[in-house]
Amino acid sequence: MNLFRSEEHVGRWLDENGYEAGETISAGKLSELAHAWWSDRLAPGWRPHTRDQNQAILDRLGLTGSFWQLP
Amino acid sequence: MDDRDLQIRNHVYRRFVELGRAPTFAELKDELGDEAKPALGRLHNAHALVLEPDRTEIRMANPFSAVPTPYRVEAGGRSWYGNCAWDAFGIPAALHVDGHVSSACPDCGEPIEIDIRDERPLPGEHVFHVAVPAAHWWDDIVFT
Repeated sequence: MNLFRSEEHVGRWLDENGYEAGETISAGKLSELAHAWWSDRLAPGWRPHTRDQNQAILDRLGLTGSFWQLP
Repeated sequence: MDDRDLQIRNHVYRRFVELGRAPTFAELKDELGDEAKPALGRLHNAHALVLEPDRTEIRMANPFSAVPTPYRVEAGGRSWYGNCAWDAFGIPAALHVDGHVSSACPDCGEPIEIDIRDERPLPGEHVFHVAVPAAHWWDDIVFT
């Protein structure tokens, strides 16, 4: 899960290393995802997210399709 | 994960933030007694934290990394490492503060410097690539 300067840099890195492409999202979307996923992590009453809670975060942010389906 | 394991998990996270690093097994044994080690094993199995492969120390208390990574984060007056870009962005989120993420583009090696202010990255032109489908993130959580 890496940051790149642009999609062009992702494509070149994948090609040069022979990696299969995954999914690429903007840094803004990543920030939304990080806040939704991690913001309760230090709360005294933290409980583990259920699989459905985590899937709902992905879905709400438009991260849908088979790639983003949790097991 | 029972309530006592949850308390131990919360203790680990609280100490991580207080210390600015992962608490060691020895420190946790001093603080929690003999129950620390088996509880940490159960928390690892439940994906509530990640131990080193030999299970002797903590490797990740996501989003925090116990070891240096390419994702350095300044937040809350301290330096941290994220396990990946997602976790790096997650550290200011978990601490509820603004932050700064420093890394390098894996393609060209140029530095990437991003401020996170009010939950938004500045500048915003960078992109995030996920190599592994969500169904397999926990197959090898160190490589995703």
